[in-house]
Amino acid sequence: MSVMLTKFESKSNRVKGLAFHPTQPLLAAALHNGSVQLWNYRMGVLVDRFEEHEGPVRGVAIHPTRALLATGGDDYKIKVWDIRPQNRKCLFTLHGHLDYVRTVQFHHEMPWILSASDDQTIRIWNSTSRNCIAILTGHSHYVMSAQFHPKDDLIVSASMDQTVRVWDISGLRKNTPNQGAPGAPGGPSGPGNFETFDNFSTVKYVLEGHDRGVNYAMFHPTLPLIISAADDRVIKIWRMSETKAWEVDSCRGHFNNVSNALFHPKHELIVSCGEDKTIRVWDLAKRTAIQTFRREHDRFWVLAAHPNLNLFAAGHDSGLIVFKLERERPAFAVHQDTLYYIRDKYVRAYDFGTGSDIGLLGVRKFGSPYVPPRTLSYNPAERAVITTITSDGGMFELATLPQGQQGDVKDSSVDGKKGPGQSAIFVARNRLAVLNKNTQLIEVRDLSNSVLKTIKPPVQTNEIFYGGTASLILSSTSSVVLYDIQQQKTIAEVNSPPVKYVVWNADGSLVALMSKHTITIANRNFSQTSLIHETIRIKSGAWDDAGVFIYSTLNHIKYCLSQGDHGVICTLDNPVYLTRVKGKTVHCLDRSARPRTITFDPTEYRFKLALLKNNHEEMLYIIKNSNLLGQSIIGYLQQKGFPEIALHFVQETNTRFELAIECGNLEVAMETAKEIDRPECWERLAQQALKQGNHKIVEKAYQQTKNFDRLSFLYLATGSVDKLAKMQKIADARGNPMSRFHNALYAGDVEGRIAVLRDVGLHPLAYLTAKTNGLDELAEEILEGAGLTAADIDDVPTFGASTLKPPPVVTTTTNLNWPVVSAGENFWDRVLANGMLEGGTEPAYVNGDAAAAASSALDAWAKEEEIPDDIDPEEGGWELDAEGEEFQTGREDESDEPEEEELGAGAAPGVSEVEHWTKNSPLAADHVAAGSFDTAMQLLNRQLGVVNFVLLKPLFLSIYRSSHTYLSPMASLPPLQLHVRRNPAESSLSRVLPVVARSLQSVRSELTEGYRLVSGNKLAEAQEAFRHVLQSLLVVVLSSDEEAKQWRDTVTAAREYLLGVSIELERRRVAEQEPDNTQRSLELAAYFTHCQLQPPHMQIALRSASNIFAKANNQAHAARFSRRLLELKPDPKIVAQARQRIAAGDRNPRNAVEISYDEFTQFEICAASFTPIYKGSPSVHCPYTNASFHPQYKGQLDPLAQLTEIGATASGLPAPW
Amino acid sequence: MDSSELYHVKQQFILGAYKTLITSSLPDESSQDYIPILLYQVRAHIALSDPQSALKLIPSGTDNVALKAAASLARYVSGTDTDAVLEELRDLSVEVEGDDAEGSERDRAMVRVLAGTAFARAGEVEEALETLGADTEDLEAVAVVVQIYLSINRPDLARKEFERAKRWAEDDLLLQLIESTIGLVTGKDSYSNCSSFYSEQIANPSLSSPHLLTSRGVTRILRNEFQEAKSDLEESLTQQKDDAEALAAHVVASGLAPSKKGEADDLWNQLVSEHPTHPIVIDVAKKSQFFDECAANFTVPPTAVASRA
Repeated sequence: MSVMLTKFESKSNRVKGLAFHPTQPLLAAALHNGSVQLWNYRMGVLVDRFEEHEGPVRGVAIHPTRALLATGGDDYKIKVWDIRPQNRKCLFTLHGHLDYVRTVQFHHEMPWILSASDDQTIRIWNSTSRNCIAILTGHSHYVMSAQFHPKDDLIVSASMDQTVRVWDISGLRKNTPNQGAPGAPGGPSGPGNFETFDNFSTVKYVLEGHDRGVNYAMFHPTLPLIISAADDRVIKIWRMSETKAWEVDSCRGHFNNVSNALFHPKHELIVSCGEDKTIRVWDLAKRTAIQTFRREHDRFWVLAAHPNLNLFAAGHDSGLIVFKLERERPAFAVHQDTLYYIRDKYVRAYDFGTGSDIGLLGVRKFGSPYVPPRTLSYNPAERAVITTITSDGGMFELATLPQGQQGDVKDSSVDGKKGPGQSAIFVARNRLAVLNKNTQLIEVRDLSNSVLKTIKPPVQTNEIFYGGTASLILSSTSSVVLYDIQQQKTIAEVNSPPVKYVVWNADGSLVALMSKHTITIANRNFSQTSLIHETIRIKSGAWDDAGVFIYSTLNHIKYCLSQGDHGVICTLDNPVYLTRVKGKTVHCLDRSARPRTITFDPTEYRFKLALLKNNHEEMLYIIKNSNLLGQSIIGYLQQKGFPEIALHFVQETNTRFELAIECGNLEVAMETAKEIDRPECWERLAQQALKQGNHKIVEKAYQQTKNFDRLSFLYLATGSVDKLAKMQKIADARGNPMSRFHNALYAGDVEGRIAVLRDVGLHPLAYLTAKTNGLDELAEEILEGAGLTAADIDDVPTFGASTLKPPPVVTTTTNLNWPVVSAGENFWDRVLANGMLEGGTEPAYVNGDAAAAASSALDAWAKEEEIPDDIDPEEGGWELDAEGEEFQTGREDESDEPEEEELGAGAAPGVSEVEHWTKNSPLAADHVAAGSFDTAMQLLNRQLGVVNFVLLKPLFLSIYRSSHTYLSPMASLPPLQLHVRRNPAESSLSRVLPVVARSLQSVRSELTEGYRLVSGNKLAEAQEAFRHVLQSLLVVVLSSDEEAKQWRDTVTAAREYLLGVSIELERRRVAEQEPDNTQRSLELAAYFTHCQLQPPHMQIALRSASNIFAKANNQAHAARFSRRLLELKPDPKIVAQARQRIAAGDRNPRNAVEISYDEFTQFEICAASFTPIYKGSPSVHCPYTNASFHPQYKGQLDPLAQLTEIGATASGLPAPW
Repeated sequence: MDSSELYHVKQQFILGAYKTLITSSLPDESSQDYIPILLYQVRAHIALSDPQSALKLIPSGTDNVALKAAASLARYVSGTDTDAVLEELRDLSVEVEGDDAEGSERDRAMVRVLAGTAFARAGEVEEALETLGADTEDLEAVAVVVQIYLSINRPDLARKEFERAKRWAEDDLLLQLIESTIGLVTGKDSYSNCSSFYSEQIANPSLSSPHLLTSRGVTRILRNEFQEAKSDLEESLTQQKDDAEALAAHVVASGLAPSKKGEADDLWNQLVSEHPTHPIVIDVAKKSQFFDECAANFTVPPTAVASRA
């Protein structure tokens, strides 16, 4: 590795701690003088300083996801800071360490901060509760560093006691301390309570091997490796397994204390630094030194690696440096639809169309194994590539790519032709040019690598590029030269900072010359150029099919038009290298040289391009079909002198008004002024309208502002006599004498004027006015009114008759606006007149007449217009027919709607979760849980024929009660109702279901309880229990066929027992209340034995029947029951009794009492009448339990479970699983 | 930044350690923290449904708008002349509008929070939201707004409000509480965020609050960990016997966990008799009535009995 690219350097006090921001280009540096600096290393500016620590700060860390900074210093304190500029401050300070704090670190997911201190302890702090939650003791000297494992619950620490320790902190996560005693108040994290914390973190391994104190240790990001750096000048690598850890190897080479050693986050490399003033890079696999970077005077103290990027920072005695270990820009070349590029030292071909990506050629043996090739030049005619590399003083290699796909990828070393040179490119089908920077000679070679010609470039040349047929572009420090190889002369020279990359457009008519901060767009012979300046470093660029240059900077993708207009298309998280732009897609390579695509919206620059070319149709089309709004485009249009076009983008009334005034569109100005309705608007409108001679609008505007004086004068000017009369009336009404006088004057109303003068007491004037206008009588009157006679005014000279009067109306201007010369029918006016959004045929995407008027430079651009139509199918998007567009617009509106919904008072209540429950489930139980009892009942009625719900009330209510819980997170607010789900992992409301309040399992245990009652001869209770079981089974939630079968079995079992118990209870009732009815009693006892009971209970039934029949002297029957009893293999005692009964029956095989009982024909027992329904006889059933009944009971309530209507139709339970 | 003392009082209030909070001593009256801490104590009393003690704490004739609002809320909670109290709060919220309004920014925000709380209690959702403001930068107000959104089944809006608050209220305990409250309603990631939040806070050695145990109990119910929930809730009840919320949750947990027969019903009866106004009691009573209405829609035929001919 011969490159170590320094990206940024700062000068400061000694740097003891460093931390990269994970996403922003920020670096925190802890200084020996107590300050913590926050640098933007991309911009090279000091963003912030945090200065509250007393004494040196050693530990610094930035939170992986939040804007938090932790620092630890020699003042024993750990401080946590908010680093956002708007509220930067120290959030809190953690006290507890008793000596210097060496390192601090945030945990990647828990709110934990880890710190190592000279007090020989490692502490873990909870940043939420701001308490120390663990103290790890064991080291017997200063703890120099402590780091969390990137995934597991482990910590590795390094100490002056010469050991590295690995700690297991899994106990901390599982079982936060004090859980058993949450009542323990307070928790000061001072000294003295070490033992409180000791029991949940243990030393897992102690790694011994260093001969001096260890300064730093860290885990490998992915492998089970640890690296440590120590004062014995050795870096050690350790491996660990589940059970043990051992030393693997050492890296020797530093000749003073090693301060820090890191695993490279991506590559198999180690980076270390030490007090011997070096940074060294090692091969992790071979443990050999690869590179050493030496500094003259500064010892290195700390290293930090960026978590995601190829960036490192090192702190030394007088500042810090940020550096990269290798160039990340992949070498690539584009030919037609294929990208040839190098990744991992293989030349690969990526097809933009199909996305196929194959390796073609290895370049592994070309130059240093640690340096990737720098450039790639492709020759389609010979299918050859030239690669260059910076190692070994710079060299190139010419190799051919295999034709078609082959089994093994060959290496270029097989037939490649090499030579020294810093820059090498193909200049023709069979020629290449190679620049040797040292000798300043350009050699032209043929494909056999023999030199044909040597050129002495006219300027100091750093790099050469293809310059068009038989031409080269030479990049020098202050200019680029277009150079003709054949004639060996300069064609053109353009001043520019050193050009680093050159990109030609598809037809070779335009070229982009890119340097660090500028792009020069030039035509073929450099006769026209435009320059773009960027403050952020420019990375790469590619030409759009329409002739727009798309380029990437460190953090943006931008566009640039030929005349130099440029703007942002989108932002980037990480730099990418653009290779090709096609429609709305940018193809690029990322920093690890993987092809990627980015889609973007080209509307803005297409619009600007159309504007540049006066292609109004296309502009209109873009306006119609895309959402081109926003201040930037309006500002752009206004600035470029197209306010009338900008007008079409603006919705906001104030801006519309401004624009309308600016472009003299009075109609729009009038409309918007009405909406705004502010005096200054009306005034401006009046001025503008006056300029255009549109006195009607002027009148309107004056009226709005009640500008009576001007209005009157306007009426005078336009000769609007009747309006003037009205003004007079208004003036009268207002009682404003001046106004009245004016109006009277304008209207030529002498009497009016005199009246005004008299009213304000100006009698002399009134008199004279009357006199001079020949109104002698009136004059006399005035004179009298003033108490004078003609004699008193003898000395007043006499005047001739007044000729003062308004001019006569020549033209009735009142009804006419001032004629205005038509500005020619503007395209936009026409569009407006046609109704912009409907009319207009779709323009061809070809520049028509308008282009002819455009400048000659644009001609070339215009020609390219055809390209998109021809080759780019994605351009179809521009040719969608009107209907399609309307549809699209409609859809957008729809999707916008929910977003527009405002937060705040207008919020409408949403759909409750319980409604989702009822929607999501066809099970009655779920409807019950949702509290939707009505639908639950309907479901039970429809599915199982249930009609009598009264019995279910406690069940319903308890299920409902158990499905909802309440919590008040905020004091004094009504508690929130929370809904308990049975699928807590599900958060989609369309799938949530209520909790299972009654499980099949719990009901089956109830059934067992019933069995116990039967055995205990508590038949009445048992009857209740079985009924309850049957009720509960109605609201059990089933989830599989298996469960459904169990459910049915349980229902049947409960029914049989309920029937049996009911029969036995009836028998006892009969025996007690009707002792004479032996026949019925015997029948019931016999039927009881035909219920499907479990063997122990069947034994009870049979023994009881056998006894009763024997007593009634029905020996034959009694013997029969005893035989059935024996089949069940009862106790020996019972067996003996049974055998006696059988013997008695054999002796005397007859029955004293005739009963209705035919045990040899199959029968079911009617659950209402407790009489047999022999096979073949008609019967009806309970729709739920399937109990049988004689047909006459149809339509009545099932007496067993007392829930259903006998014989009702029911659909059965649904199977929603 | 708040002083350490105020920070802890605030933490206790947010995490529902009301009992601890009201027993702690007040700082000196001249202290800058006096009013804020007094307010938290008053609010803690109110939260414990003890408005009388709250009113006693408030110095009579105070000029501080926040204290006035707190007094109003206390009166509202005590249930006397609620309409008039609401009017008072309306007046106060109008008073703190505008640039020349009285009181510090903090007090004015507090007035809005307290008024919003009362309005929400009164069911005046729209008014509450309007008072609190949709673009407030007061985290307590956000918390109330979020809970109101959740109560009207708009977790989407609640989340939006939360996301907005996240931008400026970093690393605040209350923000985490808000997030977990939203989590309780939406059930994101199996309630894991809520669960770890409450577990973490229970482990927080600087305070203890039975309310946290109740909250975790409720979370565990939601996670279908009924036995664990029961033990949390029992623990909470031993610490604070008469806590309706813990008891109500205990009823639910007992109803769902395999437990002794009738245990849930016994607890339920206890809840009904001790806290007849708890929403679950009222709700279930309503549902009971609803059941009768629904059941009445079905005609029950006569029971089939053997006709003894």
